[in-house]
Amino acid sequence: MTHPYEVQLADLFRHLVPEAVLIVFACALFIGGLYKADRRLWGGVALGGLAIAFLTLLIAPASQNLAGNAVFGVPLLFDQLANVTRVLALATGAIFILLAWDDLPEKQAADHHACLLVIIAGVGLVGCSNDLVALLLALELVSIPTYVLLYLPRHDDNAQEAAIKYFLLSVFSSAILLFGFSYLFGLTGTTNIAGSLQVLYGASVDEAKSVSGLAQIAMLTIAAGLGFRITAVPFHFYAPDVMQGTSTSGAAFLSFVPKIAGFIAIVRVFGFVVPAGVATPIERTLVGIGLSDQVPTLFWFLAALTMTVGNILALLQDNLKRLLAYSGIAHAGYMLIALAAAPYLSSSESATSGVTALLFYLVAYGCMTLGVFAVILMLHRPERPVETVDDLAGLSISHPGVALMVTVLMLSLIGFPLTIGFTGKFLVFFGAVSVQGPIAWLYPTLAIIGVLNAAIGAWYYLRIIAVMYLRSAVKPIETTGPLPSRTALIVCVVLTVLLAVPPGAGWIMTAAAQKALRPTQPAAMNQPQP
Amino acid sequence: MMSVLLILLLLIPAAAAVAVACLGQARALLVRQITLGATIAGAVIALVLAFGLLTQRTDIKRDTYSPTFVPGSTAENPHATTWNLIDFNAGRDASTQKKLGAIQFYIGLDGMNIWLIVLTAILMVSSVLISWNAIDERVHEFHAWLLLLGCALTGVFLAFDIILFYVFFELTLVPLFFLIGIWGGPERRYAARKFFIYTLAGSVVTLLGLLAVVAVCYHKTGDHVLTFSIPELVTIFNNLLRSAEATGDRAFFQSFQFWVFLAMMTGFAIKVPLFPVHTWLPLAHVEAPTAGSVLLAGVLLKMGTYGFLRLCLPLAPDASITIGVPLIGALSVVGIIYGALCARAQDDIKKLVAYSSVSHLGFCTLGMFALNSTGLTGSLMQMINHGLSTGALFLIVGMIYERYHTRMMGDYSGLGAKLKGITFCMVFISLSSVGLPGLNGFVGEALVFFGMFETGKVLAILGTAGIILGAWYLMTMLRQVFFGELKEPHVEGHEVRDITPREIAALAPIMAGKEIRTRSGLEISSYSSCSWCPSWTIWIDHDPPV
Repeated sequence: MTHPYEVQLADLFRHLVPEAVLIVFACALFIGGLYKADRRLWGGVALGGLAIAFLTLLIAPASQNLAGNAVFGVPLLFDQLANVTRVLALATGAIFILLAWDDLPEKQAADHHACLLVIIAGVGLVGCSNDLVALLLALELVSIPTYVLLYLPRHDDNAQEAAIKYFLLSVFSSAILLFGFSYLFGLTGTTNIAGSLQVLYGASVDEAKSVSGLAQIAMLTIAAGLGFRITAVPFHFYAPDVMQGTSTSGAAFLSFVPKIAGFIAIVRVFGFVVPAGVATPIERTLVGIGLSDQVPTLFWFLAALTMTVGNILALLQDNLKRLLAYSGIAHAGYMLIALAAAPYLSSSESATSGVTALLFYLVAYGCMTLGVFAVILMLHRPERPVETVDDLAGLSISHPGVALMVTVLMLSLIGFPLTIGFTGKFLVFFGAVSVQGPIAWLYPTLAIIGVLNAAIGAWYYLRIIAVMYLRSAVKPIETTGPLPSRTALIVCVVLTVLLAVPPGAGWIMTAAAQKALRPTQPAAMNQPQP
Repeated sequence: MMSVLLILLLLIPAAAAVAVACLGQARALLVRQITLGATIAGAVIALVLAFGLLTQRTDIKRDTYSPTFVPGSTAENPHATTWNLIDFNAGRDASTQKKLGAIQFYIGLDGMNIWLIVLTAILMVSSVLISWNAIDERVHEFHAWLLLLGCALTGVFLAFDIILFYVFFELTLVPLFFLIGIWGGPERRYAARKFFIYTLAGSVVTLLGLLAVVAVCYHKTGDHVLTFSIPELVTIFNNLLRSAEATGDRAFFQSFQFWVFLAMMTGFAIKVPLFPVHTWLPLAHVEAPTAGSVLLAGVLLKMGTYGFLRLCLPLAPDASITIGVPLIGALSVVGIIYGALCARAQDDIKKLVAYSSVSHLGFCTLGMFALNSTGLTGSLMQMINHGLSTGALFLIVGMIYERYHTRMMGDYSGLGAKLKGITFCMVFISLSSVGLPGLNGFVGEALVFFGMFETGKVLAILGTAGIILGAWYLMTMLRQVFFGELKEPHVEGHEVRDITPREIAALAPIMAGKEIRTRSGLEISSYSSCSWCPSWTIWIDHDPPV
């Protein structure tokens, strides 16, 4: 007996070449690293792997074979969201190889880069997931190499403690996520995400009511499990400790990659992007609330809590990495605003879209934060550490160029005009004030909480600028930093400015206007349920 | 031709800033010369534009904003631009999608902003001259930031696109942050950060209010117009208000305006500053270097009042009547009296002038929220007059400080015997600041109170007290510092000289400005506002709220 979607399933492999390339390169690195310890060689090989994966992504088939109801049968979807995620993952991977280049012992370079490639493949697969099992596997493909990655660069007590802490909490969060998935499966009878959305949307009002308790447990546990990755308060508490303890490249990694995976997974599971082919009744035109109409409320509170707690605790920090950890929590809060408003921005009449805002903010956050980590990696030396904010004193005298770039990054983190951070916040807040409807006042309120948080955030980012320009160093920094991290910094700063002003901003608008990236308005119900 | 000048007005300081920053510390004199050249060029252009606009006055449409000399405008529509910065149509399928708007590089001149542009240009020249000797470290950086500040300030007044306005509005913060933080007084770091955070916190809320207006204009119009252009938004929004009764949205728009007014007010009130949120101002003024103080008091504060005029009144007309008049009116009066009393209590001359700003800006907002053309005209005049007077006062305080290195009134007495030139200027400017008839301050203040008497008698009467208090603290300061027996602080190393030609050059344009404005003051400003005030009465031609 053959599977009804045999052709479509076999077709998947043609689309998975980029991930396959990454895994092949990872295996080569694992084996090769046994014979030769050379960070240049293995760094170059890893970059080559990413480049080849990118090329294969470019020549991959444009559309997927989804005849009939195959969308309810295939575990992976290769739509616009998937492609955006994969490009983002590959670009991030390249930056991380540059960042970690000199932060690693010579011996461990190959292993580190191999783990990184596996993780990048995992992030890409998260973006493609259309099945709870595939999604969980993809998320674990991100998590498990991360444990190794955190442990490799440093072996002191702090780094080990950080790795263990992250390991235990990560496993715990995966378990909670799995628990939530089991409820979702129990509720809908399928592990296919498109299928479960179809069942949930297709449910009559009475049916929806009778299972609303179960649905809410599923919603809460899934949000909790993924909230750990995006460092949403109250699942954030590990982040500052782990990021302070681990190596700088590890901290940079934790600040960004789990967030990509977590947010994309949320968009997938909650159906913020409804896969083409899912039919829903005309009266339920809001995306993202298939599981429960409490989803926006949940994200509303998560957003408010996350950004406020993140910003206020960041005010108290002196350690740079800890400060960046809390800043990351705060920015996760801004991204959650986009998700909270997304269901109400799904109609084709809406001028903006929550998912677009989220994706753009993810890119913006990555550019800004990785840039700052690149600076720390560049300037930190054991004899002249760059650990605390005060260690940056006098940077404008010793390194005027670097100081200017850090200023740009900080202004961008504040959300200052002419930087990518402003464009991101503009899209998020414009989305929030665009929400129409009976409870529309909730979203401008959330936006007000957001902008006040942006002002609070300005205080600690500004402190870094002030330290660099308005104070002089007791012992000036002498190193100019290695080439790879300098390259990473320049790339981040260029993107930070370029994507905020014309013509770069125009490219963003063009990308954001792609229909498939906007939440599709569910079509009228005209297809049978799977 | 004129629109090219408008672009040059922004481009020259920006280009000069980059050039100056590249020159480096070693060539300080060249840095100063280039900066001076750029600012003088800016002043000349601003004056040319002003006279160009005056000769075109018949072209002004009276019913809506219609900026002239718009770069990128077409022959059919000379009051709009085609220069898109971020086009929301990009990548959308042109055949099926509705036409969305774009964030545009939309700048222009109208009766409201032209004098503010001229004021900025003149004060920029003075700021450069006054910093000639006062700044001797990191000279190139100082002048680069100064030029960028001038560019951003000009941009705020020129912008006719909401996002562009906000961008320039925020961009003024960074240069001033560095000007205060690097070249300021002993408390400079704290002052710079407080100034930055305070104004940023306010302006992000303002941005939210502006975005809410854009969103509502988009959703409530039948054909969904997404636009960021201020004139278009004003037209659309006021059409919506007019038809609100018919569409049953009246209650919605009443509450919407209330919130939007509050949101916009937050940023502008901090910038003005109105009474409870003024605390950043004395600190920033006192710590800033003289050039920073001059621009801060002379121009930066006007961004707040200008924002009220340009955005708050037209985009929340009903709320301006229902909550604007009582709330802003009361806060202005409190600010007038409280600022004056605080000024009287200061021993530091610079702090005195700073508090006098709080008091005088109260006149501006008071006249504005009289909501009649007399008051609005007075308010606009007062904005310019205050810029000239307070700018000049800060210049003179800077000159005295440069000579004696102290600003405490108690250290001085009878300087008039020694510094005759400075004393003459100080008395002249103080008298105009007090509002002596015959000098420019009088016209603005008189109009403000004429206007306010029609709207709220109590507010007007209380506000008038501010004029008397103003005379009290300024005259006390004059008597203490410039008259009586000569007592001067001990200075070492150099002889104290009277006003130098360079300082005369710094003050001259301001004094001349005061003279010109006194002579033709009423005519010029009534022109400034007549292009605008009638539109106010048209906007609120729907039933005012009860």
